[in-house]
Amino acid sequence: MKQDYFSANNIKYIDYKDIEILKKFLNPSGKIVSHKRTGVTAKNQRALAGAIKHARFLGLLPFVAK
Amino acid sequence: MPEPEIKDENENKEEAEPRVYELGYLLVPTISEENVPASYGNLKELVASFSGTLITDEIPKKVALAYIMQKTLANVRNKFNTAYFGWVKFQMNADKVLELKKKLDLHPDLIRFLILKTVKENTIAAKRFVGRDSAYRKTPSARKTEGEEAVPINKEEIDKEIDAMVAV
Repeated sequence: MKQDYFSANNIKYIDYKDIEILKKFLNPSGKIVSHKRTGVTAKNQRALAGAIKHARFLGLLPFVAK
Repeated sequence: MPEPEIKDENENKEEAEPRVYELGYLLVPTISEENVPASYGNLKELVASFSGTLITDEIPKKVALAYIMQKTLANVRNKFNTAYFGWVKFQMNADKVLELKKKLDLHPDLIRFLILKTVKENTIAAKRFVGRDSAYRKTPSARKTEGEEAVPINKEEIDKEIDAMVAV
C-alpha cells in the first residue's frame, strides 16, 4: 500500500464513527498501524490516530483486542 | 479598566461565529427500546436549549462495546458491555458548549459522551471498494475491458431486436 488511502478516496475529514475504515488501520491486536506500513500522509496519519482514539473512548474500537 | 473591554471583544467574536460541534454519546442499555427515542429527543432539546442549532443527528442504536465500561449510579458501580450509541451535530457558541458539557456530566442516562469540533458537511464517507488494496483491484478491471470486447457483438443483436420491436 503505497498511496494515501484518504486522498485516494477523497476523504477530507476522518470521522471517528467510520469504524469500518478505521479498522483497516489496526493490527490484529488493536494497535494503530505505523504510517510506514499504511502509506498514509503524515497529516492524515495524525488525524487518523485522533479518530481511532476517539472511537476507542466511545467503545467503538478496542484498546486491546484479545 | 482595559481588561473588561478585551473580554467584551472576545464575547462578540464568539457570538459572531458559532462553531460546529458534534456530540457522540452512549446511553445506558438499561433503557428499554421504546424509551430510547424519548431520551434521544430530550438530548436534542437539551442541545437546543443552549441556543444550539441542530444540523444532523442519528437515532441511538444498540452497539456491543469493545470493552466493559463502568458508571456509578446512586452509589452502585454498574458495568456495561452494550450501549445505545448516537450522535448529534450542531452549531453553538464556544462558551455555551462548556455549559452543555457541565450539564451532560450530570446526565444519569449517559455512560460517556464526547464533544468534538467538526465540519458542517457529512463526514461519513460513502462506502467504496477502492483504496487499500486498489493496487490488486486494478487487474480485475483490466480483465473487464477484455470482456467488453464481446459486448459490441451483443449490441448489434440488441439493436436488431429493438428495430424489430419498433417495426411492430
